[in-house]
Amino acid sequence: MAELKRDIPQPPLFDDAQETVEAIHRGIVDAVVVMKGSEGPQIIMLQGADEPYRVLVERMSEGALTFGPDGVILYVNGRVCELTGYPAERLVHRDIATLFDGEAPTLVPNISLEASLLRNDNTSLPVSVWAGPVSIGDTSATLVTLTDLSVHRRAEQIAAAERFARSVLEQSTNAILVLAPNGRITHASWMAAELAQQPPVGHTFSEAFSLEAQSAAQAGTLAHFSAESLDTLLATKPFHGVEVGLQGDAAKRTFLLSAGPLLDDAKASVGSIVTLTDMTERKRAEEQQTTLVAELNHRVKNILAIVQSVARQTIRSSGSLGDFMPVFSGRLKALAIAHDILTQTRWTGIGLEELLTAVLAPHVSTEEERVAMEGPAILLSAPAVMPLSMALHELTTNAAKYGALSVRGGRIDISWTLTGGEDKSVELSWKERGGPKVERGTSAGFGTVLIDRVIAYDLDGTTKIDFDPSGVRCTLAFPLRDQAWSPVNTPRSAID
Amino acid sequence: MIENDGYNLRLYVAGQTPRSVAALANLKKICEQHLAGRYEIEVVDLMKNPALAQRHQIVAIPTLIRQLPEPLKRIIGDLSNLEKVLVGLDIQPT
Repeated sequence: MAELKRDIPQPPLFDDAQETVEAIHRGIVDAVVVMKGSEGPQIIMLQGADEPYRVLVERMSEGALTFGPDGVILYVNGRVCELTGYPAERLVHRDIATLFDGEAPTLVPNISLEASLLRNDNTSLPVSVWAGPVSIGDTSATLVTLTDLSVHRRAEQIAAAERFARSVLEQSTNAILVLAPNGRITHASWMAAELAQQPPVGHTFSEAFSLEAQSAAQAGTLAHFSAESLDTLLATKPFHGVEVGLQGDAAKRTFLLSAGPLLDDAKASVGSIVTLTDMTERKRAEEQQTTLVAELNHRVKNILAIVQSVARQTIRSSGSLGDFMPVFSGRLKALAIAHDILTQTRWTGIGLEELLTAVLAPHVSTEEERVAMEGPAILLSAPAVMPLSMALHELTTNAAKYGALSVRGGRIDISWTLTGGEDKSVELSWKERGGPKVERGTSAGFGTVLIDRVIAYDLDGTTKIDFDPSGVRCTLAFPLRDQAWSPVNTPRSAID
Repeated sequence: MIENDGYNLRLYVAGQTPRSVAALANLKKICEQHLAGRYEIEVVDLMKNPALAQRHQIVAIPTLIRQLPEPLKRIIGDLSNLEKVLVGLDIQPT
């Protein structure tokens, strides 16, 4: 059958002139092709009134297409081809639903909705889809327009990024500047505008800010840069960590000047970000920490010197190791109590009565009224605490071992007075009564030497001890002044 | 049987003229009904590239060319006459 058909001569292609004329006559064609000299074939519309619309639709910047009642695409304009990446012949007679990535949007006449167009490279493109009814000849169809939203999205993203960057600039407590490649400031944070000598935008960095060295090191660094070279450097090179001051800054703050490149999407430099970070608090904290560490070192050394000195003096007055141990241990405890007081009061000193209470506490319970204290409120400065605490410890220990606190009914009267004008001095009186009778020669086991030494050397005072048979009497007199104390100095009593 | 094995059809249109749109809609309907699964339609818009008219010596638009199965056949018009299309394409009415 096929072979038979091949044998039948084919009619020439243009043997259908009559059919063409008939078709035109019947109105089932609406365009003809004519040859126009060297220009080649031209299309002539037989119903030319819609030509302007056709041109308009072909040229419009939105995608336009029509599809029939069965969803088959009948026509696409050039923009749809651009948006999808497919030529028209690959789109026409496809199902409209296949144009979209994922589920096809449910098109409602005259309602715009968003959808993702599936491109020929398998990427998707956000579009706004509008649909409306249209009739083409005797066919009812749907007209769809597609608007590329990627540009809108990009604009929205840029606007959001701009808002974000602006709010960073406005809220930041650091001074932040954006410099164009020519060194001119294009954006400035609120703090940068505050620090600048004039509104900074439009000026170079050196016009807006005059740097000032706050130390020899800073001066050395700044000497490397002229205003011009600094402007060029900040605008073009990463620049980290130069500490500077600003002229006219009443608070004399220290700033860390840094710069880094501002990159575009292609990672090309389009300027720089310059920051001035206020380092003042950080530097202050660093300096304070350095001072504290130095102080701590000296205090530890001093304590060791004092311990050494106490050990030496205890050895001198001890007959045997058995004698030495309890005395030395008691003295170390006194040192520890004094140290605790100083730590608790952050080395600001303590009231005399409080110090007495602390020293006496191990030997006198609060219920017992065996110790009477009387005198004005006196605040001892930190340097007086350690020596006085040691002297009072010696008196208390002695009273507990041999004196008023060694028997029931024994009492101690402690009183003090404040004398003198500007150079006030304290006179403290210690009187024991009701204890065992004090024998002559008691002073040998007593810490007289230690008391004398710390009161004289460390407090510039005097000591008077009277071994009265009715009880030990001691008077300590020392100037009450805010001694020029420094943790650097080792107590003089601890120096042989 | 060769002519029934696969229809390769090319429809020449001129943009979105009513007859062009009608021709495509009619062709799609006829093919789905009579040639389901064994046809291919290629739509050529001569508005976009008039020179393509020369290949098949297109004179009036729309025109449908049956490229396969051979022999080449052409039907001028909007394909609204079903009987004429079926005869022109050698399709037996089902």
